[in-house]
Amino acid sequence: MGVTCVAQVPVAEGKSVQQTVELLTRKLELLGAEKQGTFCVDCETYHTAASTISSQGQTGKLMYVMHNSEYPLSCFALFENGPCLIADANFDTLMVKLKGFFQNAKANKIESRGTRYQYCDFLVKVGTVTMGPSARGISVEVEYCPCVIANDCWNLLMEFMQSFMGTHTPGIPSVFGTKHDSIYSPADTMVQYMELFNKIRKQQQVPVAGIR
Amino acid sequence: MAEGVLSPGVNLEAFSQAIAAIQALRSSVTRVFDCLKDGMRNKETLEGREKGFVAAFQESLHSVSRDLGELERLSNLVGKPSENHPLHNSGLLSLDPVQDKTPLYSQLLQAYKWSNKLQYHAGLASGLLNQQSLKRSANQMGVSAKRRPKAQPTTLVLPPQYVDDVINRIDRMFPEMSIQLSRPNGTSAMLLVTLGKVLKVIVVMRSLFIDRTIVKGYNENVYTEDGKVGYCISSNIKFYFYLVTDHATTALLHYQLPQMPDVVVRSFMTWLRSYIKLFQAPCQRCGKFLQDGLPPTWRDFRTLEAFHDTCRQ
Ligand SMILES: [Zn+2]
Repeated sequence: MGVTCVAQVPVAEGKSVQQTVELLTRKLELLGAEKQGTFCVDCETYHTAASTISSQGQTGKLMYVMHNSEYPLSCFALFENGPCLIADANFDTLMVKLKGFFQNAKANKIESRGTRYQYCDFLVKVGTVTMGPSARGISVEVEYCPCVIANDCWNLLMEFMQSFMGTHTPGIPSVFGTKHDSIYSPADTMVQYMELFNKIRKQQQVPVAGIR
Repeated sequence: MAEGVLSPGVNLEAFSQAIAAIQALRSSVTRVFDCLKDGMRNKETLEGREKGFVAAFQESLHSVSRDLGELERLSNLVGKPSENHPLHNSGLLSLDPVQDKTPLYSQLLQAYKWSNKLQYHAGLASGLLNQQSLKRSANQMGVSAKRRPKAQPTTLVLPPQYVDDVINRIDRMFPEMSIQLSRPNGTSAMLLVTLGKVLKVIVVMRSLFIDRTIVKGYNENVYTEDGKVGYCISSNIKFYFYLVTDHATTALLHYQLPQMPDVVVRSFMTWLRSYIKLFQAPCQRCGKFLQDGLPPTWRDFRTLEAFHDTCRQ
């Protein structure tokens, strides 16, 4: 596992989500990237149940339970700004048993699916983010496999992303800032996806005004 | 093989007679031992027995000496095998009647001549190069003048303790680099060099000479199932470390100094240490990080600057 950057790419003007994804993947293929199957990252939201809120006298924290096809045997449980727990895949059944404390907000389920590409030592995953039946946005994940220290290879990653994302190249992810010299882990990638999904959810909640 | 081919300067007639003489000699020698083995025959008197035995023994010894004399006479007649060929038995190739089709003999002579020349020139070159490399490495690596004259053992057999000491000293020289020495396969040392959190290098030593290096990613497994350092474990990071391994092998060939193997190991490690900024150093020529998806994997042997494989000279 190398260092990964997850970013959102806005839908190109006058194009659909699908068309923008195709534009991106075509650029990757022109660069020489090879298609290597598909990937999926999903995220379910859990509310802390009413009984626990009253006892602690605070608004309920949201917990996210996520899966990543890159780690098929694991399940990730995250709080916003909080710890990230990496558990076995059957953690989901435990969540069902904990119904009294955590309630699944089914309507909030969000996922990103798409194609996985390899280019030299880079892994690139371009995904369509969907919530319910509709496509909400585009995610791009770029991993540089040989490196384990996020800040060591950020410039290199950025140069690579510029080669196919152009002006939509993201700034340095906030998780990189807290890593210093410690080793990058899969949980850091999941935090980035969680942040991306939250951003896209908010965009959806506020109806886009002023476009028409 | 036809007899004619074997026979330059050999009297064939005498040759076959000599073979017959050898056979005769062998059978008479056998008779001597038969006679000794059988011992004294059953005769009426003890005296008779002794007499019979001595007579038989004497007779068989005589025939041995007679056959030996005959063989010696014949061997003088046989003549010496062709000693006038400078290449001894390979000179017989010149007798091959199908010379035109297989000019083996002339080719052999040419090859011999060239090999002599090569040996001579290689000797001269080695003398010159040895002077040069001593001077250069002294400038380059800052070997103190005090140390230089001290002759190092040049053989491949150095006591393991000596190797351990040299490696330990190098380990202490570079704080960001850790060298772990093990001997998983007998006396040859295997070094696991961990450079920061950047890469791992497996160095196979033979005595104090570096035999082979394999570069791995920091997060790659370098141990075999039984916990030893293994160098055959496949890598899933295809391009990058493969290239660096290539360059490391080139570096090995560059830093050659047979008289001072410990200086070679130290120079190599100094060069290797320049990879600590592996992902952070842009190419010194084109200023970019990536070229064809690969970062600058080459480090100049002298300046230790980073270059893309395609951007160096
Ligand atoms: Zn370059």
